[in-house]
Amino acid sequence: MQIRLLTLLSAMVLALCYGVTARTAAPNWGDAGHQILVSSTVTLQATPSHGIGSALLAFFSRLGDSTWSTGLHESRYAYDLIESVHVWTLCLFFGLAVLFDLRLLGWTMRRVPVSEVASRLLPWTVVGFISMVTSGTLLFLAIPLRSYQNIFFRTKMVMLLLAGLNVWIFHSGVYRRVATWDVARVPPRAARVAGGLSLALWVCIVLSGRMIAYNWFDCDRQPQRPIVNFLTSCVPTQSEEH
Amino acid sequence: MSLLNFFQWCEQSGIGDTIRRSSWLFPVIEAIHLLGLGVIGGAVLVVDLRLLGLGLRRQSAAQLARDAQPWLLGSLLLMVITGGLLFLSEAIKLYYHEAFWFKMSSLFLAIVFTFTIQRKVIMAGETQLRPVWSKIVAVVSVLLWSGVGLGGRWIGFS
Repeated sequence: MQIRLLTLLSAMVLALCYGVTARTAAPNWGDAGHQILVSSTVTLQATPSHGIGSALLAFFSRLGDSTWSTGLHESRYAYDLIESVHVWTLCLFFGLAVLFDLRLLGWTMRRVPVSEVASRLLPWTVVGFISMVTSGTLLFLAIPLRSYQNIFFRTKMVMLLLAGLNVWIFHSGVYRRVATWDVARVPPRAARVAGGLSLALWVCIVLSGRMIAYNWFDCDRQPQRPIVNFLTSCVPTQSEEH
Repeated sequence: MSLLNFFQWCEQSGIGDTIRRSSWLFPVIEAIHLLGLGVIGGAVLVVDLRLLGLGLRRQSAAQLARDAQPWLLGSLLLMVITGGLLFLSEAIKLYYHEAFWFKMSSLFLAIVFTFTIQRKVIMAGETQLRPVWSKIVAVVSVLLWSGVGLGGRWIGFS
């Protein structure tokens, strides 16, 4: 129930964001090549590469030129306020998710049944998660191309998928039998593994999320190692390579 | 020695200098600081939600506060250590930054409030106090801790 609600709501938020961005980006569609060349805030070389990677680069480049994006980017307070919301809801989502993981590990609230922690706290983490995805999407929208190519952003997205997978495996696996271990002070191994993995993944997600702000591996800072440019879909120009 | 002298002394300390010279130390310490914030957030919210009559309603607030206590104190210690290191690396900037003083005032009030008034209200239990007091205490606690977190975030904005 929890997981289905979470998936549905995340999908709705993403669909909404896609709808918003697709609509604002649409007028530029026919003129994509030109848009990339004149896109001023980020260095992008779209000439030689093909396929889905370059299509996404072009898409996020156009997105960066949309009124939504420039509005968020250029407003005096919008970005700071949205980032503050992102940090505040981090406490709600991450803090309570960590408590649930710690309960699964048997490290806190040992006398409270696991199902009770799940049913009473996880709805709040769902609220926190929706707020985080919404504010996070807006932050992405303010600087789309740079974020999309940022190595920490990509790491974060991959780990978010893994964390989601972990939630799904937990809820469709050992949690179905929760009645048999509900009051165990230390839950069974499978539940502890899920809790530990979740804790590790969310910690890494927070760490890499904070690191998105740093431009060490950004495409416009050449020369970079080939592996970095590969991981960031970056194609430096001849003059930048030296 | 004036307060500004003290801040200058901190800024010139070896640790502060090391952090400033490194390109990655500040970001890494800051990221750990953020993790600590998340854990404090959880430990504070689980108790405050309970005082508001939400969250784990079948447990007593006193029991929840006891369960959350090690995580609250542990993450608070982590935050003071990492925050202290961050402070050493940019003490003079902070001396002139309103958000820093706002954050420190909120932190002082939040700690005092949590470990005195809120502790008393929680230990008194539901029997001796009208529920409205629990709710007021929870709201004040959330506001004070939010002031710490948001003040911290706004130190980073110029």
